[in-house]
Amino acid sequence: MTRLLLLLALLAPLPAAAQGTLNMLCAPAADWCEAIAAAFQRDTGVRVSMARKSTGEILAQVRAEAANPRTDVWFGGSAEAHFTAAEQNLLQAYTSPNMAQLPPWAQRVHAQSQGRCVGVSSGAIAIVYNREVLARRNIPVPQSWAELLLPAYRGEIQLPNPNSSGTAYTIIAGLVQLWDEDRAFAYLRQLHRNVNAYTRSGAAPVQAAARGETGLSVSFNMETESLVQQGFPLAMTYPTEGTSYEVACLSIIRGARNQAQARRFYDWYLTPAAMDIGLASNQYHVPAHVGAKADPRIPDMTKLRLIDYDIAAYGDAARRRQILERWDREVGSQPR
Amino acid sequence: MSGGALTLEGVGKRYGVVRALKPLDLVVQPGTLVTLLGPSGCGKTTLLRLVAGLETATEGRILLGGQDVTQLAAGERNVSMVFQSYALFPHLNVLDNVAYGLVSSGVKRAEARLRAEATLGTVGLAGYGARLPSELSGGQQQRVAVARALVLEPELLLFDEPLSNLDTRLRRSMREEIRALQQRLGLTVLYVTHDQAEAMAISDRIVVLRDGAIAQAGTPRELYEQPASVFVAGFMGEANAVRARVLAVAAGQAEVALGALRLTLPARGCGPGEADLVVRPEAIRLGGAEPATVTRATYMGSHAEYVLATAHGPLLAMLPGGGEPHAAGSAVGFDIDPAGAVLIGQEKEEER
Amino acid sequence: MPRLSWPPPWPLLLAAAGLLLLPWHYPQDGFALVSVWGEDADATSALAQAARHGRFWFWPALAALALCAAWPRALAPAVLGLAAVLAQALAVGVQGWSAPWLEALFGALDDRQFGIGLGGACTTLGFLWLTTGALARRGAFRGDRFVAGGVGLLALLILLFTAWPVLRLLAEMAAPREGFTAWASLAERLLDRKLLSLACVVQPVGCGVLWNTLLLAACSATGATLLGLCFALLVTRTGLPGRRALRMLTVLPLITPPFVIGLGLILLFGRAGLVNQAAEALFGWELGRWIYGFDGVFLAQVFAFTPTAFLVLIGVVEGISPAMEEAATMLRATRMRAFTSVALPLMLPGIANAWLVAFVESLTDFGNPVVLGGSFGVLSTEIFFAVVGAQQEFGRAAVLASVMLVVALGAFALQRRVVARRSYVSLTGKGDAGLPPQLPAPVRRAAMAVALPWAGLTVIVYAMALAGAFVKVWGRDWTPTLEHFRRAFALEWSAGGLIFSGGAWHSLGTTLLLAGIAAPITAAMGLLAAWLLARQDFRGRTLLEFALMLTFAVPGTVMGVAYILTFNLPPLELTGTAVILLACFVFRNLPVGVRSGLAAMSQLDRSLDEAALTLRASSFRVLRTVVLPLLKPAIVTALVYAFVRAVTTVSAVIFLVSAEYEMATVFIINRVINGDYGVAIAYCAVLILLMVGAVGLIQLLVGQRRLGRRAAVPA
Repeated sequence: MTRLLLLLALLAPLPAAAQGTLNMLCAPAADWCEAIAAAFQRDTGVRVSMARKSTGEILAQVRAEAANPRTDVWFGGSAEAHFTAAEQNLLQAYTSPNMAQLPPWAQRVHAQSQGRCVGVSSGAIAIVYNREVLARRNIPVPQSWAELLLPAYRGEIQLPNPNSSGTAYTIIAGLVQLWDEDRAFAYLRQLHRNVNAYTRSGAAPVQAAARGETGLSVSFNMETESLVQQGFPLAMTYPTEGTSYEVACLSIIRGARNQAQARRFYDWYLTPAAMDIGLASNQYHVPAHVGAKADPRIPDMTKLRLIDYDIAAYGDAARRRQILERWDREVGSQPR
Repeated sequence: MSGGALTLEGVGKRYGVVRALKPLDLVVQPGTLVTLLGPSGCGKTTLLRLVAGLETATEGRILLGGQDVTQLAAGERNVSMVFQSYALFPHLNVLDNVAYGLVSSGVKRAEARLRAEATLGTVGLAGYGARLPSELSGGQQQRVAVARALVLEPELLLFDEPLSNLDTRLRRSMREEIRALQQRLGLTVLYVTHDQAEAMAISDRIVVLRDGAIAQAGTPRELYEQPASVFVAGFMGEANAVRARVLAVAAGQAEVALGALRLTLPARGCGPGEADLVVRPEAIRLGGAEPATVTRATYMGSHAEYVLATAHGPLLAMLPGGGEPHAAGSAVGFDIDPAGAVLIGQEKEEER
Repeated sequence: MPRLSWPPPWPLLLAAAGLLLLPWHYPQDGFALVSVWGEDADATSALAQAARHGRFWFWPALAALALCAAWPRALAPAVLGLAAVLAQALAVGVQGWSAPWLEALFGALDDRQFGIGLGGACTTLGFLWLTTGALARRGAFRGDRFVAGGVGLLALLILLFTAWPVLRLLAEMAAPREGFTAWASLAERLLDRKLLSLACVVQPVGCGVLWNTLLLAACSATGATLLGLCFALLVTRTGLPGRRALRMLTVLPLITPPFVIGLGLILLFGRAGLVNQAAEALFGWELGRWIYGFDGVFLAQVFAFTPTAFLVLIGVVEGISPAMEEAATMLRATRMRAFTSVALPLMLPGIANAWLVAFVESLTDFGNPVVLGGSFGVLSTEIFFAVVGAQQEFGRAAVLASVMLVVALGAFALQRRVVARRSYVSLTGKGDAGLPPQLPAPVRRAAMAVALPWAGLTVIVYAMALAGAFVKVWGRDWTPTLEHFRRAFALEWSAGGLIFSGGAWHSLGTTLLLAGIAAPITAAMGLLAAWLLARQDFRGRTLLEFALMLTFAVPGTVMGVAYILTFNLPPLELTGTAVILLACFVFRNLPVGVRSGLAAMSQLDRSLDEAALTLRASSFRVLRTVVLPLLKPAIVTALVYAFVRAVTTVSAVIFLVSAEYEMATVFIINRVINGDYGVAIAYCAVLILLMVGAVGLIQLLVGQRRLGRRAAVPA
């Protein structure tokens, strides 16, 4: 027992740095998260304690901590997740003096969430294919959503399951907005025949495509590009009808213990220098600052045919539940 | 009730609804060796463990030298115990085993070793200190167990069937050693055994237990010669129990009839009528008036044993050495030496 | 009249230190003893908070301390102290009074308090031990204060770290959804088609996850038990060369971090795996992607649980006395008949036990289904995604978790009955003269035909998986490289000395530190509990035993979710600290410590303890000087197991890690999810090596039992 008590004493946090501390939950790849944390600490002297978790885990944690938050800022993860948190009054509204230089899509998120979060990067959904698999099987490269219904793709497409994956929800909500709900679901029902699995994780299908475990997947372009750079035989096309995109957000947790440091981080990140860290650590996101360097390997958002995606409407919990239930009923539970 | 080294007042033990020990009183005088004797399951070991503090009495008081120890833990009572299995710590050498209790009581290790060494000498094991228990013979282990208990100079020493793991010859010499040690050092001892010969050999007093209650307590001679019940008589050596008839009682002497035989015995509270008569096998003499048939004859060297079929049931008779042999099937008469026969007192029997 | 005693009992000193000298709350920013009387109320002692900062709710506890000082042996003041500490902890939370009626009674409170820290913990323990001490003085626990204190401590800890979180989670089941009442929400979640659908019987669609889980667990358990039996028979009853190697092989999966087997299987049997490529190149066959889903998870689980089944079964097979079969052969039975009519029936309860152990392992497995499941969902993954996935529904997670708990408890209850009936296995103390009979030839051939290819496959799967650490891009570019190790474990020399610049150092250090701390605590508590259960008799013993074993049936995922729900708020505000991870490790692995302790204790003659007790040793001394030295093998088992499990567990800790305390397995799973297999596998390889080293080190530290020539007591 004495041992346990000693332990309690030993494990107590060390005295904080003079500039205070910042507790950050970070959703993107670990390399990027670590680079941001290190740079902020270097620039400001604030001690950053950062944990990398998936968006869902972060939201779960922020919700669990609602009565007694331990987290100050939440970096990354889709705007929908931030909106869900905002809806449950978990986020603190803040308007940074550095807002003016942000592109419209980043500012729109800020406006729609009543200042509770701001866009920091974005990426688009693409149809991803394994060049070698398609070549070996003589399957044509698809150019549109419609072409994915061709019998040639039977059993070759892998999608994530929207019940667990935010990526999947972004895809489906995008289709609903591209056409209308009935047509989108009619499409998904037809597509169902060609799908070999609905994976639990949003990143799994592109991993499978990279290793040839599946021929095609529908995934985010930054995840795909990262695998391409590792040498996997992947390529992407952006569907001609238009495609969904994600805005990754930054927000401050309501009741955060280190409000001042959280705001300091918020302001600091909305500068070109901070946004360039993503480029330096090979993240392939589109940065949310007109002054930040764009990655030449990723098309600019303005060059893509994007669906007019209403994050506010489709981030709403009731709407989400309704879409998920319909998906379960009409797609997920159907025989293949 | 006070004045004893150990006094039990209405001590009983129950496990849930099961009664292991009925409330009983017992006094052990200082410097004496008292044996708890009885068949397995009679509660003798339970009683010993209650005194040791290994179990807690559910009723009554246990006094040790006048002090109430009923609620004290084993280590807080000034008693030591020698276990049936010896319970020598296999990972400690002999000296450390013996010194264990001293070190536990706060004696400095060096001094504890010296005293342990001395006690090992007392039990005749000087120089064995460095060995592990597994490197000793059974008898030697037994002595280590005694030394380990002795070294604490307890007010009361407990023995739980300490000799049952030894062979017959060793058992006899060990029990003499224990008795000699007890008398030499003036130890107060409570000793559990189911072997009546052992109990007779070493005890100042014997307490016979049956079904969780005291059947009879007394000196070995009292128990042998004046058993309170057929059970006690049977437990204190071989005994034939027969139903006899008391014809008349006068001046404490009873006129007893068993078939054609007539005996005059102390009445022990019996009135005229049916009574239990206990006859020791060596008190049966062949060639008497009461008819019997030999059903089995066994030659034992120092004596001969006969099983007789009689009108009162089978009887066991032991005849010393030289007697003329009788073959199985031969008809013989028998009679009884009154010195080896005793009437079982009626009221005592009721009490049980 | 107060009975002052000097020196005062040390639990009183502990309680006093907790209330007067130590900071009461868990420190929010740094820890310093000098601040216990300072300006920052949250960093001061209870006395300072009451006297200087107007936190009047500490006065009852302080008053109880004064009473305890006056009557240190009395029961009432100690109980009062416990109640006062509990009351103040529950009454005031992070946002003032924690219940409206308190506010109505005392008026609004513009204050709050954080979780209990060092002071609070010491005081609670102090009052607890004063209480148990007073109870012991009244004759409870046979008057043994050490036993009373031990039982009190265990009961308190189990209440806090097992019972409370589990109940808290179950309460969440009925958390109302918008537009529903509590009961309707509960009913809807329970009757969910995704949980209970049986559609797959008639149509080629997925069934409810409950049926998936049960089917998978039954199949995996059957497969693992059959294989385990084959191995056990081959090892004990044939002259097969390399039997020792076979034994070693079966230990490997126990010290393997999760995912390794799954990744190895993908590389071998995946659509782009070696087997498929070979089949396509040689015969033009397309084997497809069967590895994803039920088949793959089944295969991986059989790999993972065969060793467990083997370890259970080898004891069973060795426990069958050769004399039994010898007797049967003397009665004119053929070797085959002796085996099937005598040996096999005697093994049956053991086989059933192995099956149930594997069943529960499969039920709670998270790593394999998450890597290989594809569309196929089981309870453990559903719970995980219900919490972290797009649904974000604690209520659904709680329902799924409780369904899992019920199944696990059912299996556990069944297992206890089976094991209880095992008594007729003919393991006697007498040395059996007979040699273990050889297997009948057909059985031997069958066992070899099954087991040997499987052993080969195990080697290949491991080799494939671990090869991934040494090639550039796993499954793509097979150029040999040590790059992954460099990225994970790089060291740099700089002016300031050695810099651990690799990305894995932090989590590796934390993992080893926490596992290293948790293992001795687990072993100590487990053995203490085993000793109390086996050697002491007190009221509530059966209840304590049940509560201890219950933890074993609580799946890791359930435990993790329950912990964050429970320990995020005062009075026990532990999320984000190392304490929550330690508690998770200790209480998850405690039953194993208890079991190995109980097993070892049953082989120790009870009169050894009793002898020591009558020799004036306190219970604590008996434990230290007699029981522990004789239990060294059990201590090693408990330490090794607690350490290995703490290092390799993933399902529970995934919810509990934080920036400061990241665990190796979570680091690995993050890399796996990102497809960064190289680093993940390099890390796994390092962990396996470290665990082998740690096991050796533990053996060395604890040392051997010294019993002289009769050292035959088995471990």
